[in-house]
Amino acid sequence: MSLIKLEDVGLKFHVRRAGRVSLKDYLLHGMFRRSKRNSFEVQALEHVNLTVDEGARLGIVGHNGAGKSTLLKLLAGVYPPTTGRRVVNGRISSLFEIALGFEPDANGWENIAYRGYLQGETPRSIRAKIEPIAEFSELGDFLNMPVRYYSSGMKVRLAFSIATSIEPEILIVDEVLSAGDMAFQNKARERIKTLMSAARAVIIVSHDMKALELLCESIIWLDHGKIQAIGPPEDIIKSYTRQQNQSKEKRQAA
Amino acid sequence: MTGYFSDIWRLRHFWMALVRIDLRQRYRGTIIGIGWSLLQPIAMTAVLCVVFSAALGQSIREFTPHLLTGLTFWAFITSIVMQGCQSFFQGESYIRQHPAPLAIYPLRATLGAGFHFLLGMLIALAFVWCVKGFDNLPALAALIPALLILFVVGWALAICMGVANVLFQDSQHLIGIVLQMLFYLTPILYTREFMLEKAPRFAPIFDCNPFAVMLELIRKPLLDGRLPSTWAISASSIFALLIVGLAALALYRYEKRMIFYL
Repeated sequence: MSLIKLEDVGLKFHVRRAGRVSLKDYLLHGMFRRSKRNSFEVQALEHVNLTVDEGARLGIVGHNGAGKSTLLKLLAGVYPPTTGRRVVNGRISSLFEIALGFEPDANGWENIAYRGYLQGETPRSIRAKIEPIAEFSELGDFLNMPVRYYSSGMKVRLAFSIATSIEPEILIVDEVLSAGDMAFQNKARERIKTLMSAARAVIIVSHDMKALELLCESIIWLDHGKIQAIGPPEDIIKSYTRQQNQSKEKRQAA
Repeated sequence: MTGYFSDIWRLRHFWMALVRIDLRQRYRGTIIGIGWSLLQPIAMTAVLCVVFSAALGQSIREFTPHLLTGLTFWAFITSIVMQGCQSFFQGESYIRQHPAPLAIYPLRATLGAGFHFLLGMLIALAFVWCVKGFDNLPALAALIPALLILFVVGWALAICMGVANVLFQDSQHLIGIVLQMLFYLTPILYTREFMLEKAPRFAPIFDCNPFAVMLELIRKPLLDGRLPSTWAISASSIFALLIVGLAALALYRYEKRMIFYL
């Protein structure tokens, strides 16, 4: 049985031109005229078929806006597919937008606790983890300070330490490899590797081709929301970088 | 359905931690802390009591707990509605990160407001105890189902307002006006009996105003030591069912898609 299966999945965003729609707009345009003047659609993903099996180590590449993060969020269950089907057998742990979601007025320790609760910890189970998390973050006495006063680097370090203190079944990672300063990055990379080796399946998005080649067994190349190619890392990365270079040359020529 | 509630229960440590943070946050840096929550309704009751007991010729002994319960109840409703409107925006960063039942964010608002409501009720209870004493204790037990109904209605209301406000930002302003009007149509500053004596035609308004009947569920056992009327019980239950149904429908339709509107 596959862990995650996407069947002909599509995802369409309705983006409103002027922020959120008001009741007046809704009544005037929505009910009476049915005009779409105030919104346009973005087809973020189209006809995506994907099977994630036991033991899969899957990488996703693509240029900015190709739909990589959207695909990850759809796999994680944050976005529902607008067409097609998503079937999941297993518990998903995801690492993306981790720097968001702190309570700014609570201190580091408290934030560790309830971020842990959101990840399914209990007061008892978090007690054993709180020291290792604090240690890994290297924040020391700063943990007694409200998170409001943290620098963005400190926030990322704390978030990363909490988010990776899990025993993942299916692990979904979005470019967190670039967390904090150089020394912390090396540590973070090691931590991710350990997590990946423990997980039953891993899906990872990165722009770091070397890392992907090392970590993954197969790579998905996304382009404009469609799967351009799936295959072994060397082949896909080669043709992906070739295409990237070509478009760069074209831009320079023009 | 049961899966949904067990998910909420599984995450109980998370939303309870958020409620604790909200409560602590409210009094951060103040000297008397939670005392402000007690002082506010007491001060309001005192001043209104002085003014209205003179103007309407009410006895202070009767009128004080009447005002206190009314004002506390209304503070609960307004804060549920207003914070309910913001609940999904407030929880946006969590929603973007982690799929969890959306109902926990309005629940956060409800529990915070509920805490202050219970404090107000305790003051009213203490007041009645000191001034009149309770001659009919069994009637007080009727408070328990009343509070339960109030909690369920509050949660459902917060969910409805949260969804409505994400879809249409106008909702919070619209509901603000509606609440202001309802405040005067609910026997809070005056008693029901007083009003009906002067203008009997108000009876159907009080009978159909869901907030008026829910208020009776609380006041009758607490202030008069009597069970609420059958009408109050059935009308509140019907209203509770309606609003819960609406909340369930709103979640059923928008739970998954909410992320697109945030």
